[in-house]
Amino acid sequence: MSTNLLIVAFERPAIDWHAVAPEIVLLSVGVLITLLDILFLEKARPYMAALSGLGILATAIPLLTLGIDGTERVLFDGAYVVDNFSLVLKAIFLLAGYVVILLSTNYIVDGDYWESEYYGLLLASLMGMIMMASSRDLISVFVALELLSIPAYLMVAWRKRDPKSNEAGLKYYLMGVFASAVMLYGMSLLFGVSGTTVLSEIADSIDAGNGSSSVMTLGIVFVVAGFAFKVSAVPFHTWAPDVYEGAPTPVTAFLSVASKAAGFVALLALIFVGFYELSNIWEPLIWILAALSMTVGNLVALRQTNIVRLMAYSGVAQTGFMIAPLAVAGHSLSTGNQALSAIVTYLAIYAAMNLGAFAVIITLARRTGSAEIDSFSGAFHFAPGLTVAMTIFLFSLAGIPPLGGWFAKFEVFRVLATSGETWGYLLAVVAAINSVIALFYYATIARKMWADDPSEKDLNNIEVTPSLVSALAICVLVTLLFGIFPQLVARFTEVSLLAFGV
Amino acid sequence: MALLIYQRETGLKTMSEFLRNWLTVLIFGGVGILLVSVFLGLGSLLRPSRDTPQKRINYESGVDPQGDMWSQANIRYYVFALMFVLFDVEAVFIFPWAARLEVYGLFGLVEMFIFIFILALGLLYAWRKRLLRWV
Amino acid sequence: MLLNQFLILSAVLFSIGVYGVLTRRNGVMVLMSIELILNSVNINLVAFAAFREAIPGEVFALFVIAVAAAEVGVGLAMVLLLYRNRRNIDLAGIDSMKG
Repeated sequence: MSTNLLIVAFERPAIDWHAVAPEIVLLSVGVLITLLDILFLEKARPYMAALSGLGILATAIPLLTLGIDGTERVLFDGAYVVDNFSLVLKAIFLLAGYVVILLSTNYIVDGDYWESEYYGLLLASLMGMIMMASSRDLISVFVALELLSIPAYLMVAWRKRDPKSNEAGLKYYLMGVFASAVMLYGMSLLFGVSGTTVLSEIADSIDAGNGSSSVMTLGIVFVVAGFAFKVSAVPFHTWAPDVYEGAPTPVTAFLSVASKAAGFVALLALIFVGFYELSNIWEPLIWILAALSMTVGNLVALRQTNIVRLMAYSGVAQTGFMIAPLAVAGHSLSTGNQALSAIVTYLAIYAAMNLGAFAVIITLARRTGSAEIDSFSGAFHFAPGLTVAMTIFLFSLAGIPPLGGWFAKFEVFRVLATSGETWGYLLAVVAAINSVIALFYYATIARKMWADDPSEKDLNNIEVTPSLVSALAICVLVTLLFGIFPQLVARFTEVSLLAFGV
Repeated sequence: MALLIYQRETGLKTMSEFLRNWLTVLIFGGVGILLVSVFLGLGSLLRPSRDTPQKRINYESGVDPQGDMWSQANIRYYVFALMFVLFDVEAVFIFPWAARLEVYGLFGLVEMFIFIFILALGLLYAWRKRLLRWV
Repeated sequence: MLLNQFLILSAVLFSIGVYGVLTRRNGVMVLMSIELILNSVNINLVAFAAFREAIPGEVFALFVIAVAAAEVGVGLAMVLLLYRNRRNIDLAGIDSMKG
């Protein structure tokens, strides 16, 4: 048996260089950063932030040409696919990465925190994310997941002397590795039942009658649980508040947006391309995850006093909203496509508003030296611009029209309400109640910033660095634009994964 | 599920055939245990036994042992162990390529050079940041 | 070709690993338990690959091995960092953040 396996004629795989150009550019920039660090050591450090920012912009160029071209490109027998879905998500990742670099510049310089390595790892993590957007194969999903996670573990523990940062890093590492190990066990079972690692072939194997086995169910449960950890859905969310609090705040912003989106991408690819047919297995799972995440996240967020921890729990609740359309996605093909579009829309808008909120938090915390919500009281007196921006982001997160977050929530409700399933209506009710709870704590922060007396003695206007101004400008622009002209974002997020695979 | 496929595909018709396969293992294990106990038993019968405190000391390459055996290893070993593990394990990608070198031809060669280049970059980095030095 | 025996072995290893992760308090022991889980995955993959004569399983196992090495490298570095700052690697001691 083993001999005939080895004698396989080798055929050089045809590689569509245009399709993998973004990955190659990003990899080259990463290698360049390492090389410069090796050659010039300290002398190269001041240029690293600019270089990695330029690298991300350079990566966006082939992405743009691919988007204009618009054809779906399938590489490596369906293991790696460049279609509209993956292009939109790659764009979200790159934009998030760019904003995080803008947020990091001053923070990392202040602490004298090994800049070359920091930006190298950030680019490596981004590389994993844009790979994840195209992966349609268990092996490449796994490799992309680890490529984006391992640098993130290191970045969380970046403040080496700070016990909180250590603790956050170790917690994130242990829980992350445990989750990915359990997920891998699930993947090995999926491979065992179907005999292939390509997702579309797994779908074929399910069609051929392999789906009914209990091993398949176990595999799907393990895999979904692994990614539920990555997107921090209840009950797999326990790491999020501690890690968010302990990590350097720009890294927190990165985790809460990019890493979460990457988890969603993998989950979407697995569910829609791999086991869409088995909706009776994953729909109830997702339903429970969504309802729990919204409720637990919002209720615990109500009694937080630290703004970063509050953002962590609000992020858990937002995950619940994002995952909710999946709970009815198996109803019919058109519902599935609508659910996918709704989730991608939500991801894009959430990235902008959450990064924006973190940009404000970073700037204010530099001044007040604390992340307690009370220290932001009366921020209007010493940072009027930031207060206005923060209010926009908070109300957008709460889903108030005409801001971006409103359209994202609207899409979720539309999918839940039009699916025609009782469970969908029920989830919509849960989501509606939670929107009200969320509004309460978002509005409380805004009220404190506007109306309360400042606890600060120094009432001179805060100095905002140019990089933070540009980060804020990008986020405000996107949040407002997508809210006022929803058809703009809908045009990009009208994607489908169900064309092939079912 | 596995059991069904197993019975379908293995071609082992009966249970006795299956048991016969395991009988070999059983005999092999039995002989092993027998041999060891015979030699150890013979040794203990034949050798003289005069116990002294010196003979009860742990063997540590001829020097007098110091401390107890749960003493912590020097933390500096970790860095080297880490780097050894990393570079050692990456060889799993090189062996399959080396075994089929001619078949993969120039394409495989270029791919492998890129792979080794990136690995070497890691080693260079460690060297340049003075991690390879025993401080 | 025996498949069941391999699957049972890997299931046992997986369970021991999960038990170890959940109960152990020493950082290095938790890492070792995670290694057990990853090895159970490898046994599964290789057994299924040989059984179904599907090469991807073996390739997957190679990737798992390589990535696991990188993971453990980061993990040990993290434990080392903890040791430098706290002089022990007892995981029960790291609970400064609550809420």
